[in-house]
Amino acid sequence: MIVFEDVIKVYDPDVVGLQDFTCHIGKGEFVFLVGPSGSGKSTLIKLVLKELVPNSGRILVAGRNLGTLRKSRVPLLRRNIGCVFQDFKLLPNKTVHDNVAYALEVVGEPRRSIRRKVPEILSLVGLAEKTDSYPHEISGGEQQRVSVARAFVNHPPLLLADEPTGNIDPETAVGIMQLLVRINRTGTTVLIATHDRDMVNRMRRRVLQLEAGRLVRDERRGSYDQVTEEVGDAF
Amino acid sequence: MRFSFFLSEAFGSMRRNWVMAMAAVITVFISTAILGAVLVTRDNLNQGATSLKNRVMIEVFIKDSATPKQTQALERKIQGMNDVKSYKYISKEEALRRFRERFGERIVANLPINPLPASYEVQVKDADQVDRVAQQFFNDPTVDNDPGTHNGVKYAKETVRKMLGTISLIEKGMWVTTGIFAAAAVLLISTTVRLSIFARRREVEIMRLVGATNWFIRWPFVLEGFITGLVGAVLAAAFVWVGNWGIANWIQTSQIDFLSLRIFRMWWQGGTWPLGLMPTLAILGAFLGAVGSLVALRRYLKT
Ligand SMILES: Nc1ncnc2c1ncn2[C@@H]1O[C@H](COP(=O)(O)OP(=O)(O)OP(=O)(O)O)[C@@H](O)[C@H]1O
Ligand SMILES: [Mg+2]
Repeated sequence: MIVFEDVIKVYDPDVVGLQDFTCHIGKGEFVFLVGPSGSGKSTLIKLVLKELVPNSGRILVAGRNLGTLRKSRVPLLRRNIGCVFQDFKLLPNKTVHDNVAYALEVVGEPRRSIRRKVPEILSLVGLAEKTDSYPHEISGGEQQRVSVARAFVNHPPLLLADEPTGNIDPETAVGIMQLLVRINRTGTTVLIATHDRDMVNRMRRRVLQLEAGRLVRDERRGSYDQVTEEVGDAF
Repeated sequence: MRFSFFLSEAFGSMRRNWVMAMAAVITVFISTAILGAVLVTRDNLNQGATSLKNRVMIEVFIKDSATPKQTQALERKIQGMNDVKSYKYISKEEALRRFRERFGERIVANLPINPLPASYEVQVKDADQVDRVAQQFFNDPTVDNDPGTHNGVKYAKETVRKMLGTISLIEKGMWVTTGIFAAAAVLLISTTVRLSIFARRREVEIMRLVGATNWFIRWPFVLEGFITGLVGAVLAAAFVWVGNWGIANWIQTSQIDFLSLRIFRMWWQGGTWPLGLMPTLAILGAFLGAVGSLVALRRYLKT
């Protein structure tokens, strides 16, 4: 689904975003991206969205080479990628319903199908009651569920989440994570950048760990910290 | 992509940011109203200047001693002039009748003889040619010139020239004003739109992340600019229209008749109120609004 080959991303004055990064993420995988602050997690996600362009290397998303992808095709790429962010990124002037519907309007979905799909996905994320509320009228956890609903309403093959539980209390975070797992079960590839140690440890999924822009660990059923294993080895 | 979706987006945004929308409408209103007023005034001054030019008339007085033959010769001379548009013979009797009309019976009644000379009233085609035409009568023996002068030829040389000069000066000033306000309108509109888009740049960013194409993002903004521009300009056109009507009525009822120039009249009063001005202003306003939006959006839709 996602292929990175020797990708280097350097920000203007010698600030390393991503260094010699190579990795493959297969179709239908559920992957955690961990690492300390400033290690390049958001950079990686922005590269997949073609919000950023790498200095060198090759990136393939769903078989498409982003290096040769024309600017005018970028919106098409993004329609096939659902996005969830730490700050939710909801349109403040639109109701819950209209925020989700916007993702469908963008792809030119017929009105009838919008009328069917939006309530469907909203009840899936448990927000059927809040359809006509505005983002500022609902809690952070609810806002994040709206943003998950919007990311998934198109049933994209790939879903990216940049610290989706960063602004949410642990209980609510579990709910969000369960949603992402359910989405993953429908065949959608899910990539989550996170600092949520408990979550990663509990889920035991593939973990990619970044350190100053380099990939330092790629573990199939990993935990948040590498140390845990080393400690385990010591016994 | 649905037009109704873009339209409802545009109206929704205007309802939410109604203060901004009002500011934009007022901006368009003021600048297009000034533009419209300038254009109407220019149009009317042009008309005034044309009618003034058309009334440049040379009076050629004929000696009382001139024989009918001499008078006929003078008439043939006038007929032969290229720059003459028309001419009219005013007999001594006609001159007296006019004098009586103007100054009353009493003065005329006391006159022993008719002292007024006969004359030709010569209209020239082009006001600029008035000197050349007049000069041709200066040394004509039939013309009632006192020896050494040419006071038998009268024309409103200086007055007309000054007036035409003034009008052309005012006209030039108006062109400059028009230019300045057109530029100001574009600037103000694009600034207003830019401010409102700047306030919503986060929204634009989110729309792009969700996969909206640039045109999908642009359309509501462009429509918004279009509608604001249209509303402002239509109001301005109506304002200018009513203003013109007021001036026309004032000129009609007031005693001053502005050299009996028939200006600022509405079309039903036989004037040439520029009917095309209304749609022109409206289209201009709508166009300015839409272009203002596009220009302002450019920065946020680069990649
Ligand atoms: N727009 C930018 N311009 C310059 N440097 C940047 C920019 N964005 C990120 N960086 C730098 O690139 C490096 C990686 O940043 P990135 O945002 O990818 O880290 P992160 O792993 O997402 O961190 P966090 O966990 O705090 O979100 C950091 O050193 C950061 O300062
Ligand atoms: Mg980050």
